Amino acid sequence: MSQAVVSVNAGILLPVLAPAVGAAVVLVTDVAVQHLRRAHYVIALVALMVGVVATLAGLGTVAGAARRTLCLPGSGQCMYVADSVSSTLQLAALLAAALTLLLTWPDDKKESPGATAVIVSLVLVATAGATAVAGARDVGSWLVGLELATLPTVALVALRGAHSAISGAVALLTTALVSFGLLALSAALWFTATGSGFLDPGTALASSIDPLRRPILVLAVVVVIAGIGFKLSLVPFHAWTPETYEGAPLPIAAFLAGVSKIAALAALLVVIRAVTPLGSSALAAIAIVSAVSMTLGNIMALRQDGVVRLLAWSTVAQAGWVVLPLAAVSSAAVKASGEYLLAYVLATLLIFAVVAALVQIMGAERARTISQYRGLFGEHPVLASALGLGLLSLAGLPPGFLGLVAKVAALGPVVSSQLWLLAVIAAINAVLGVAVYLRWLLIVISTPDTQAQAAPLGTPDRTAPVAVQTLAATAVRVHPATLVAVGLTAVALVLTSFSPQMLLGFFGG
Amino acid sequence: MVIVLIAALVIPAVTGTYLILSGRGYRAVPEDNANIISLVASIATALLVIATVMARPVLNQPWLTSLGVRLHFAVDGISAPLLLLTALLSVAVVVHARSRPSHGGSPSTFYGCLQLVELGALATFLARDAVIFYVSFEIVLVPMWVLISRYGDSHDLAARRDASGRFVLYTVLGSTLMLIGILALVQASGTADLDALATLHGAGIARSTQIIIAALLLVGMGIKIPIWPLHTWLPPAHTIAPTAGSVLLAAVLLKMGTYGVVRLAIAPLPLGFGALAPAFATLGVIGIIWGGLACLVENDLKRLIAYSSVAHMGFVVLGLSSGTTVGLQAALFANIAHGVVSALLFFLVGGLKERWGSADIATARAALREVSPRLGVALVVGFAASLGLPGLVGFWGEFLAMYSAWNPAPDRPQGFMRFLVIMAVLGAGVAAAYSLRVLRLIWSGDRTTPAHADARGGEWSVLSVLVAAVLILGVAPGLLLNSTYKDAAAITMEVPR
Repeated sequence: MSQAVVSVNAGILLPVLAPAVGAAVVLVTDVAVQHLRRAHYVIALVALMVGVVATLAGLGTVAGAARRTLCLPGSGQCMYVADSVSSTLQLAALLAAALTLLLTWPDDKKESPGATAVIVSLVLVATAGATAVAGARDVGSWLVGLELATLPTVALVALRGAHSAISGAVALLTTALVSFGLLALSAALWFTATGSGFLDPGTALASSIDPLRRPILVLAVVVVIAGIGFKLSLVPFHAWTPETYEGAPLPIAAFLAGVSKIAALAALLVVIRAVTPLGSSALAAIAIVSAVSMTLGNIMALRQDGVVRLLAWSTVAQAGWVVLPLAAVSSAAVKASGEYLLAYVLATLLIFAVVAALVQIMGAERARTISQYRGLFGEHPVLASALGLGLLSLAGLPPGFLGLVAKVAALGPVVSSQLWLLAVIAAINAVLGVAVYLRWLLIVISTPDTQAQAAPLGTPDRTAPVAVQTLAATAVRVHPATLVAVGLTAVALVLTSFSPQMLLGFFGG
Repeated sequence: MVIVLIAALVIPAVTGTYLILSGRGYRAVPEDNANIISLVASIATALLVIATVMARPVLNQPWLTSLGVRLHFAVDGISAPLLLLTALLSVAVVVHARSRPSHGGSPSTFYGCLQLVELGALATFLARDAVIFYVSFEIVLVPMWVLISRYGDSHDLAARRDASGRFVLYTVLGSTLMLIGILALVQASGTADLDALATLHGAGIARSTQIIIAALLLVGMGIKIPIWPLHTWLPPAHTIAPTAGSVLLAAVLLKMGTYGVVRLAIAPLPLGFGALAPAFATLGVIGIIWGGLACLVENDLKRLIAYSSVAHMGFVVLGLSSGTTVGLQAALFANIAHGVVSALLFFLVGGLKERWGSADIATARAALREVSPRLGVALVVGFAASLGLPGLVGFWGEFLAMYSAWNPAPDRPQGFMRFLVIMAVLGAGVAAAYSLRVLRLIWSGDRTTPAHADARGGEWSVLSVLVAAVLILGVAPGLLLNSTYKDAAAITMEVPR
């Protein structure tokens, strides 16, 4: 036993293995039995759910109780650790991937059968990359996981083949390559500074007090922030975001806003947690990047009329909020960052799901233009309410309590470290963010231009609530899988808004 | 008994959510049904609030364990009058809105928003956890924004967007700065429990840190109060908002700011607040004079009352800054007084605006004295109270605020505070001038055309109850002052006399 090279515990690795194996099964099935479409989705959802179940054991655990595997026999260092933060991010990535699949669920008329298997397997592979990077604790698997999470998305964006899709994919590919270069450089710097491939505080501690090696370590961290800044859409590495979101099919844009962001933050948190001995000096870069991202993202989002472009710029702004707590070095900051990310992902996915439903109801032209949302609350009160909840959650205003609590959590570490200037910039951006999301909401709840749409006066039917009637009418025109996606995210957001602790608790004590 | 407290919050929450979701935009639950549902809900809430104030139950449950936030709600002498004011005025706005078709959207969304505003205000005054206080503070924002932007008076969409946008953006800036202050306070003192914070009196927090935190809190809540020069959102919001919105905004929401100053700045940060008090009082007194001067030339009656609110809140700020128990009591009394008087005036002006078609007082119209004596009496009482006539409710708050600032706490600069009092007296003189100007323009005279109907039914009952409140609290201020004395003295740490 003691002679084993590395210990392997497949149960702990299951969140990574399940989607990876699922992708292989989908591809094999496609070769074996042609013209299958729904079967691929069923296989994929089963694989993702297996992964979800496997993450549950890691949720809400205390700091010392992390489950480890792929450990070296001598030093006891492990390449894969499933602690509460990693498991929570894995869970979120798997669920967000499942939601993307629901949104891409095949329509009976469109798409060639082969594309279905490709889309499904690419989504699964990227998800496996995201879960891998969350658990990775050595430079090699960290880098491979992160790229595995990125590269399939290029293909997913390009697959539609339209001109805008290609240019979006090219922007993403270029970004991915630059980012990979930076991350490879930072991996090399890390190895130079520490002499070890492991990303843990013990490794960083020795070199952080050595005056010769400390600058190299700091440089490694700064380069990591730049490399991951591309993936998280932080200013000044954000330029690809609006173009790629706009060019990608809507569900893939949701994937980029969900799973890809989770993967990027998971990668950043692995490094941040490893360099806590450095103190906050290395993380001054984060404070600047965070402040600039929020401000530019919000200002640009204020000017957009395209739904997807607004969501893209909102991603830039929210990415600033996600890394805001990391300007302070503490375990509370890591958790706050993860909490903010999950609140953002949940609200954004709900908005994407609602927009996807609206595309099916009223056409892409209207559903992708904000000024065309006038009177939506009157026409589709249920969808409009769901959209409103998502927007208010992003704005951090009640009834979006989840977003509000995330804002409180994100500001906490900043205030504890007495970074007053950063806190005040964040406060100003809270205002700008409210302006961004309420501008859209105001259009949604305003009355339509034409009076013709006003319903004839009369006593409403008292036998069934109005909401149920319209839901039934809506269901006829919307793909059931899309409705399921809207319903699941809306229920999740309502529940976590009532009790944000449900979500915060995942990150453990 | 804790169930009473929970029910007082759950009823407006559930009613409000139901009404909004069943609103279905412009295709709605009939007006009358929505009105009756919210009337029943707000009366039930009012009864539960009265029971809560009498029985003083405490709810204390963990909510966000990982952030150390507890659902902690309770009542004391400082919050009890504000709770009663909120609950009773919520009933009044529903009664007053009856048989007034709400234009701009579905009636049920309108009433739903009123319920949610009530929920937010009650939760704010009940909250005993600093973070819950912030969360409750934010609840009122979106419903009030909807009330102004959708149900506002103006047919001009741009004006409504501007007014509602200003309201929500200014307030969010204020509340986020307040949140930063709260987080810093909680971090520095190690507890988010407002009772514990008040008992600590800032022990263990350095003076310089106290000043930074108090400055963040005062700027944040100063926007909500509002103090000069952060008041510029208030006049447009009041001008555009529907009557019910104006009443709740002036009478209830502004008080959340001053209440927050007592709970979060004065009690837990005595040194920090003490250092900033002269500057805070100066801004308050500038507000008194500025608001009064604006009222002298303003011709839009709703705007005029909004500016007079700035002046009245200036007296509250002056009382708060004095650092004495009397000053604190004066501020709390002036809060309630302004709540009653501004509610009375906004109900009146809303009614007049409906009758006249505008709120412009420079236009020659029938004198209220001649054609609508009930409205006339209410207007005279309202403006007489507003100028601080002895024997009416407005007098005690202003008089005691000036008295307390004349004899401030030992650590306040006495000479400077006395100078501010002299300025405030001048401001009170201006208030008399503008009040009489309004009465001269719209109450006196002998024109009888174009005639308009007098108040009756729901409108008259609301007005008469408020007039009675102005008189009763004016004659017997002890009803209110006695209930706040013990808790106010605990905050200022003055030995009870």
